[in-house]
Formats: sequence, C-alpha cells, structure tokens
Amino acid sequence: MAFEIGIMTFGEVTEDPTTGRPPSPRQRVRETIEQAKIADEAGLDVFGVGEHHRSDFVGSAPAILLAAAAEATERIRLTSSVTVLGSEDPVRVWEQFATIDLLSSGRAEIIAGRGSYTESFPLFGYDLQDYADLFREKLDLLLRIREQNPLTWSGRFRAPLVDADIAPRADGDTIPIWVGVGGSAASAISTGRLGLPMAMALLLGPLTFHEQTIELYRAAAQKAGHEADALPVSINTHGYVGRTSRQARDVMYPYFAKGMAENNHQRGRGLRLPRAAFDAQASPGSGLLVGSSQEIIDKLLAYHELYGINRAIIQTGFGGMPQKEHLEAIERLGTEVAPVVRLEVAARQREAA
Amino acid sequence: MTGAPTVIDAERGAHTAGAALRVVVVNGSPSQKSKTMGLVEVVLDALRTMLPVEASQVDVYRLGQGFTGATERDDVTPEIEGMLRLAENADLLIAATPVYRGSYPGMFKHFFDLIDQYALANKLVLLAATGGGDHHALVLEHALRPLFAFFQALTVPVAIFASAGDFDGVTLLNPRVHGRIEMALADVTDLLKARATGAQAPADAGTGDGTSPSSDHKSRGPAARKQYDAA
Repeated sequence: MAFEIGIMTFGEVTEDPTTGRPPSPRQRVRETIEQAKIADEAGLDVFGVGEHHRSDFVGSAPAILLAAAAEATERIRLTSSVTVLGSEDPVRVWEQFATIDLLSSGRAEIIAGRGSYTESFPLFGYDLQDYADLFREKLDLLLRIREQNPLTWSGRFRAPLVDADIAPRADGDTIPIWVGVGGSAASAISTGRLGLPMAMALLLGPLTFHEQTIELYRAAAQKAGHEADALPVSINTHGYVGRTSRQARDVMYPYFAKGMAENNHQRGRGLRLPRAAFDAQASPGSGLLVGSSQEIIDKLLAYHELYGINRAIIQTGFGGMPQKEHLEAIERLGTEVAPVVRLEVAARQREAA
Repeated sequence: MTGAPTVIDAERGAHTAGAALRVVVVNGSPSQKSKTMGLVEVVLDALRTMLPVEASQVDVYRLGQGFTGATERDDVTPEIEGMLRLAENADLLIAATPVYRGSYPGMFKHFFDLIDQYALANKLVLLAATGGGDHHALVLEHALRPLFAFFQALTVPVAIFASAGDFDGVTLLNPRVHGRIEMALADVTDLLKARATGAQAPADAGTGDGTSPSSDHKSRGPAARKQYDAA
C-alpha cells in the first residue's frame, strides 16, 4: 500500500487576527477550491472537507465543495472529513458521493464520523439521545447501499427500502468508506469489527495518543475475521509546513491559537493556547505536524513506524490563515515532504518483506 | 412507577450443583436504558459463568413517593420496605451508579440512608460506576467505598469503572473493562460460592441434559419477567 499524504479543511470563516476582519463566505469557498487545485498540482494524494453547520464555517455541505473541487483537479482523491453520518440520510450521502465519483473519474471517498460538533442533529430533526444508535444504523445502511443495488432494507430511523434502485453507482468498483475515530475505545472496536479503514483524529497531545485506539481496532478486526494488518489506517491532525522550523511555528501559531479559542470552548469560553504550550505540541514527541519539511518528514515516518499507518491527512490553515501562507504550506507538503516520505516508506516496506 | 424490583433472571448457568447466588443490583441511573446497567449486565454474565445466579434490580429513580417522601425507615411504604429488605438480605449486593456532579446521585444515597445501619455488615458488595470520562474513576474509591466502609460491608477489592467512550450506546465494548470484571470476580470466587443461599438449581434446569442453555443464556422467559413480590 503506497503511503498517501493529503490535506483537509473545515473552510473556517474566522477573522484574521492581523486585520480584525473575517473573510467573506464567497471568498472562502473560492479559496477552498483553490487549495484543492494547488494540492493536486503539488502532487498530494487526498483533499478533504469537514462538515460544520455554523456561520463560522462554509463547510456545511462538503459534497458540493468536493464536486466543485472535482472540476478543478485531475488526480487528487476527494473525501469528506468527516460526513456527520448520524444526522444524514445515507441514501442521499451515497447519491452525492457517487455523483462526485463520476465527475472525478473515481476519486470520491467518504469518511463517516459521529461528529465532534452536534449542531446538525437538531437541524435535521434527530435526537442526540440516539447518537450511538443513529450512527450504527446509518453506517450499516450506507455499507449495504455500496454493496448491492437494488436494495431491501429496514431500520428504526428512516422509511424502509423495498427493492430500491439507488443511483448512480460508483464510477469504478466501489467508493472507499472510512470511519473517523476520535479516540474512544468503543469507536475503535466497532470500526475494527466492521473491517473498515480507520481515520484517527488527533487534535493535540502526544504522538502515542492513539496507541490503544490502534491496538483495540486491530484486535477487534482480527477477532471478526478481517485481515487486520491489511486495513488502511490514517492519522488526521493539524499542521503547517514552513520554510524553517521557526518560521513554520511563527506562521501557524496565531491562527491556530485563535481557531482553538473560537472552537474549543471550556466553560463556554475559548481556550487560548499559550505559545509555550503550542511549541510543546510541535516537539518531536507530540502529534502536531508543524515545522520545516524535514521535521514533517521525520514526524510522518515516526507516525508510520508507531501505528503502521498508510495515510496522513493534515488539516492546514485552521483558524483562518491567509490564503498565501496556506498555499505555501500545501506546496511544500506536496513537493518537499510527500515524495521523500513515500520513497522512505516504500523502502522500509521492501526491507520488511 | 412501581415499588417492586424486577427479577432480572432466575436462570441457572452451567452449574447444576450448588445454591444460586442471590444478587441484588441497586441501580443509581435514572435512564431506562443506561450505560450503568449495560456495565452491570456484563458483570452478571460473568457471574453466571461461575455459579447459578438469581438477580434482581432496584431502580432508585423508579421507587416513587413512598421512597422519596420518607426521611426515616419508619416512613416508608410496605412496598419500599420490601425493597430495602431485599437489598439487606442479598448474597451479593451490586452498587452501580453513574457519576453526577462528582459523586453518586442523591437518590442513590437516599436508598442507603434508609438501609439499616448494621444490615450490610460483612455483606459482599461489588462497586461499579460509569462516568463521562476517566476523570471520574476515583468516585469508586473516594465516594462509594467510604459509604460501604460506614456499613462495615465486605467490598470486593477490585471495583469496576467504565467511561462513556467504552460503550457503543449502552453496550460495553472495551475489553479492558471486561478484563477488570473478570479479575474482580476471580478474586472472590470462593466467597461467592460460600455465600450463595438461593434455591438449589434443579438438576434438569435449562436444556435438561445438565448443560448450560448457552445460546439462550440471556433469554428472559415469562417467569423471569414477573415482578418480585416485595411484600
């Protein structure tokens, strides 16, 4: 399995701390598509858009942004990161991503997640009490839709399907469906049991944060009869690739701290990440992928060694970083980091074989 | 709202010999379907593999005014008196509760406030709790164990905690918690057997060939659903 490197965004509409002004939503959607285009040109493997239903993000409809990105790109894979599946209709999700798959000649992917924000549940008439049951049932339906057409299915949360023709079908054989996992033991185990690829999200914390996640996932997969070591696993974390170690941190810090303060509330107030704490998160033992190209190469290889992952998706530009700096990081990631990591991982795999 | 505890089951496991262990679960969760009872179900399943079990459950949030309106034991209705006696006479008491505001809910404590001061002395008590995160785990040692220390109860040395992230809905998935339950019960296997005072399991229980009705292990037959006569 070749090592894949990509980027993702939530399409934040956050005011620029240097000017005090938020970008317009129109500007932000255009910038999002431009990020996909530059990532594609730089040779990155994956572009992801997250789903948030609030005014400080333009990503409430990732499928539509990905469809626009499909038109602007040639080779890069296009994924939701994540689709909040518990408050979606899996039939509609399939239709949308199958359409993206056709538009992009087979480049669509879905990362299904429970969602770390819960705004979408009341918005679409779902009860948060059913959070776990909703995700389980809807994932089951989505997988069944992928598997066969026409489909007969019934469940608790939507009308039954009787010999339903759900179209279009995927451009190729299938559309990859990953499950986003934040670190709870139960999500890792249920994803492993289903034998689905796992996208591990890491916000802050040590590189080793997901050791239990991966161990429980592989054990559950093995027990359920899946070939545990062959299942794709990715790490999804924040980051920035700079000219130098120092410049990367200096550029990323104010935006990241700002984004965290606006989106990571404690007692109803934003948590302001101090610079020293940020620098600690950027150290070799911590998970944040910020630094020079060489630092990012080293850390991605450390991730690979630790977890046996074969994909890394870096959330770049979080907190409303200006487009210029954002695009520079995407280019460096594609041209300076990715080729080295791919070669090195391939070499390690040959040695191991 | 009813004052009668639910008989969870009166089933026999693979054990044709020996008395059944009369287990009473005092459940501190207000939810109809709860992680707390999800955790207890796993404990009961583990117990059933060790010896015959007769389990019943007292839901403190469903006891009604005869319970909440009582400040002393003399105030309770006969129905509630039956519940308290049931707990006092258990072979094994499972004290299971979610963490509220850093401790067990007041309703849970109220039940034990009405329990006779010496009724739980030397009583086997297993402590179990669920919380939103691992931060709450010490509720077992800092809140529950001191409560039963007051009663001079014989608490099982290993107490059980599970976090929200260990469950898919109310189903416990984390094998580490399963392992902890096995360890807690393994420590007191001999005691559990020695203290079982329930009816002897008939030799033809289950499938009639002396083996466990294994696939049917958790079935709830009509007899098992009947309400316990608390009077």
